[in-house]
Amino acid sequence: MFVLGDAPAGDYAWFPENASTFAADNDWLFGMISIVCIIFFIPIAFALFYFALKYQKPKGAPAESDTSHNTPLELAWSIGPSFFLVGMFVFGAKAYLDHRTVPDGANEVGLQGFKWGWTFNYGGGVYNPELHILIDEPTKLSMRSSDVIHSVFVPAFRAKKDVVPGRYNYMWFKPTVATEKVSDAELQAAIEATKAAGGEWDHDRWQFTKDGYRFFDLYCTEYCGKNHSKMQTVVVVHETLEDLNAWIEKYSKRQEETNPVEYGETLYNQRGCKGCHSIDGSKRVGPSFQESFGNNRVFASGEAIVADENYIRESILYPKAKVVAGYQPVMPSYKGQLSDDDIYCLIEYLKTVSAHSGKTEGGENIEASSSEDALSDAETATE
Amino acid sequence: MSAGSIPSGDQIKDPGYPTASENYLTNSKGALSWLFTLDHKRIGVMYLIGVMTAFFAAGLLALLIRLHLFRPDGAVFTGPEANNWYNQVFTLHGAIMVFLFIIPSIPAALGNFLVPVMLGAKDVAFPRLNLSSFYLWVFGAIFFVGALMASGLDTGWTFYTPYSTTTDTSVILATSGAFILGFSSIFTGLNFIVTINTMRPPGMTWFRMPLFLWATYATSIIQVLATPVLGITLLLLIAERVMHIGIFDPEFNGDPVTFQHFFWFYSHPAVYIMILPAFGVISDLISVHSHKRIFGYRFIAYSSIAIALLGFLVWGHHMFTAGMGPMTTIIFSALTFTVSVPSAIKVFNWLATMYKGSISLTTPMCFAIAFIFLFTIGGLTGLHLGTLATDMHLHDTYFVVAHFHYVMVGGTLVSFLGALFHWWPKMFGKMYSETGGRLAAVIIFLGFNLTFLPQFVLGSRGMPRRYATYDPEFQTLHQISTIGTLLLGVGLLVALFVLLRSLVKGERAPANPWGGATLEWQCTSPPPFYNFERPPAVGDPYDFSDIFWDTENERYVTVEPDRKIAPAEQPEPAHAEGTH
Repeated sequence: MFVLGDAPAGDYAWFPENASTFAADNDWLFGMISIVCIIFFIPIAFALFYFALKYQKPKGAPAESDTSHNTPLELAWSIGPSFFLVGMFVFGAKAYLDHRTVPDGANEVGLQGFKWGWTFNYGGGVYNPELHILIDEPTKLSMRSSDVIHSVFVPAFRAKKDVVPGRYNYMWFKPTVATEKVSDAELQAAIEATKAAGGEWDHDRWQFTKDGYRFFDLYCTEYCGKNHSKMQTVVVVHETLEDLNAWIEKYSKRQEETNPVEYGETLYNQRGCKGCHSIDGSKRVGPSFQESFGNNRVFASGEAIVADENYIRESILYPKAKVVAGYQPVMPSYKGQLSDDDIYCLIEYLKTVSAHSGKTEGGENIEASSSEDALSDAETATE
Repeated sequence: MSAGSIPSGDQIKDPGYPTASENYLTNSKGALSWLFTLDHKRIGVMYLIGVMTAFFAAGLLALLIRLHLFRPDGAVFTGPEANNWYNQVFTLHGAIMVFLFIIPSIPAALGNFLVPVMLGAKDVAFPRLNLSSFYLWVFGAIFFVGALMASGLDTGWTFYTPYSTTTDTSVILATSGAFILGFSSIFTGLNFIVTINTMRPPGMTWFRMPLFLWATYATSIIQVLATPVLGITLLLLIAERVMHIGIFDPEFNGDPVTFQHFFWFYSHPAVYIMILPAFGVISDLISVHSHKRIFGYRFIAYSSIAIALLGFLVWGHHMFTAGMGPMTTIIFSALTFTVSVPSAIKVFNWLATMYKGSISLTTPMCFAIAFIFLFTIGGLTGLHLGTLATDMHLHDTYFVVAHFHYVMVGGTLVSFLGALFHWWPKMFGKMYSETGGRLAAVIIFLGFNLTFLPQFVLGSRGMPRRYATYDPEFQTLHQISTIGTLLLGVGLLVALFVLLRSLVKGERAPANPWGGATLEWQCTSPPPFYNFERPPAVGDPYDFSDIFWDTENERYVTVEPDRKIAPAEQPEPAHAEGTH
């Protein structure tokens, strides 16, 4: 079985899977409106082509009629369709009020949109780019944006709302279909294949998350710049609260056995650093991390320092305090979103990717690193 | 009465053909005689060349977009900047199409040519203003496209803040360009309002005007009233950038949604600037080629004005998901539904006009039929979007893309082509190949549907708009759409070829090739530079009873009963003889 939202090409359903309480309302209303449209369209199209052929006459033949108007008829076709319109409006507005009215006691998840990714806040310092929620429980998203306008769209839920900077927007939905977990064997095979290829997790290819859950797509639908079309994430609907809590627990913080550099790399990939900062020296919205730690940084204000731990920390928490020359002050603050341990891990990771890390600070940084890939990256770049 | 017979003994009224020194195209020579012309017809032709160039450029960009979307990861642009390229291309496509083609196409290019001739006047009220609005358009076009290209603007033609203000300042340049273009359309609109108000010939009351003039009048009102709002928006944007007064930018406590309100307060009425002239064109085309009086003249005329006025009240439907209050949102939804009624009235009236007519399936009529079909689809799918609950799902998806392309391309572009083929013999005095023209209409109709019907399904299945790359499950529908674009492109090229070929090889056009009753068919093809020697007698613009087909000369002629000057002889003054 596949999730309809990701049905393979060739399946021509009008809608993605019907997976929330809004979906049934929406699809019913869409169907009714479409039927009304067809009731009007077929006679119009038929008359159009039928008249065009039936009354086709050689040049110069007079018309059969010279009627200039027929007020009762015209009033009828002016007023008649209005009843259908009133119907559509009323049903549409009613269902819309449902969309807008968040039920009491909904589970709250924070959402932050940024160029180009999402961070969901599960409370207790747990942040993750994936949205995980519980079946048959209303979930409320409190949404804010750290840069430009984005829009959350989950086709399977038929729900959409813009995320506007400078204010909170809210949306809610109640999922009615759980996304299953694939078998461990399948998951393991996918993880190994991904490792072998050396790339990132490919949701489109596997159609499940790296924890083995099937998912619904979540798209950004308000144009937000270069990687707007990549600003996608997944919605996983858990069958039980235990399962959901287990997942949250897994991502709540760095586990004892996890190496800080590895965890830093995970944060780099998941928390939106990657969208603007490369590790291979290429210029994106922000400076590359290859020239960050241990390098001399020149700021827009003219002053310059060597990037050390405190500078990195400040740049994460107060990004606009020191802006590297040649870049715009567009980075959002991560204050309150990254724990001290998270920042420590990120700094450790940055040391491994910096082209200068080995030279300026001596050998200790290299010792701290166990990520061979990152190290060799740094070495190649130095050459 | 048999087809094609002219009642014997009646007078035939036909102006014949213009001499080279009368013909507005040839009465003076040299580039300067065109560049500094005050003749509304020459200005109209220059506009025509301008908007067709813009259309050609933006059409090529559309082709690039569709080809890129042939593959989920993008087929045309590659490398790390691929998405940037795509975003700049769709921005340019939208901006050029909207501001340089669709808005000026019918009102400025065809309106300039037709309004005075339809009024039996020698020119518009302010010929110099008319020329200056053309040069404003040219200057604005260069400025606008230059601003977009130089800064690689990638905001979409909507320039939404804060995205448009955070990256660089080019949005101010681009909006200035749009505003210069806006001034051009304010001048044109003002000119037409004054011309129609003051220069109608004696006997032409408001309700004896051709419906094209009604539509032009309604359009001009919108142009004059809505465009200044774009100027205000521009001033506020500049104030925001320079003084940080905090209107749009959340960083200074502004609200980015305010920009959307301002923008759509202009741009939604602008949508009606785009479609209203098309309604006028189709009303005339359907009536002339059905050789039957337009059905429900007053309803059509009033519905144009109703659309112009209601069009000012519905801008909020572009922001249903932006987080306006529920009550505001619901009111905008209700208002949106009201604007659909006048459009529906027109469709029914056009069909009733065809009923029991004498239809000639000429090229313009084929385009008019295609228009009714496509516009009806465009209008009806607007209902899904006006209904709030379903809009929550469809907003900003390909469903919206398909909907407005059905209205803007299937509506405005198709009617522009219909109008072009209808008035081409009048403008250039040449007949084109009917077979070629009809072939173009059929290919365009099929290609258009193949391009945009799949996009409705893409949208309802959840494909967001403005995506440079997409999930593989959408690929088949995207590919069908791309193939449709190629077919559409072929159709447009055929149409262009047919028209250009007629200039070289076409037969000389008679004054009235279609049997129209409006005034432009009473002067020669092409018209003399002075249009009419003296103000023509004004009849009913939709009375075809005295227009007959002249088989021998392949033309329509107006026939008048042979009038005798009465009394035929001077009566003898009976009392005068022999009394003195």
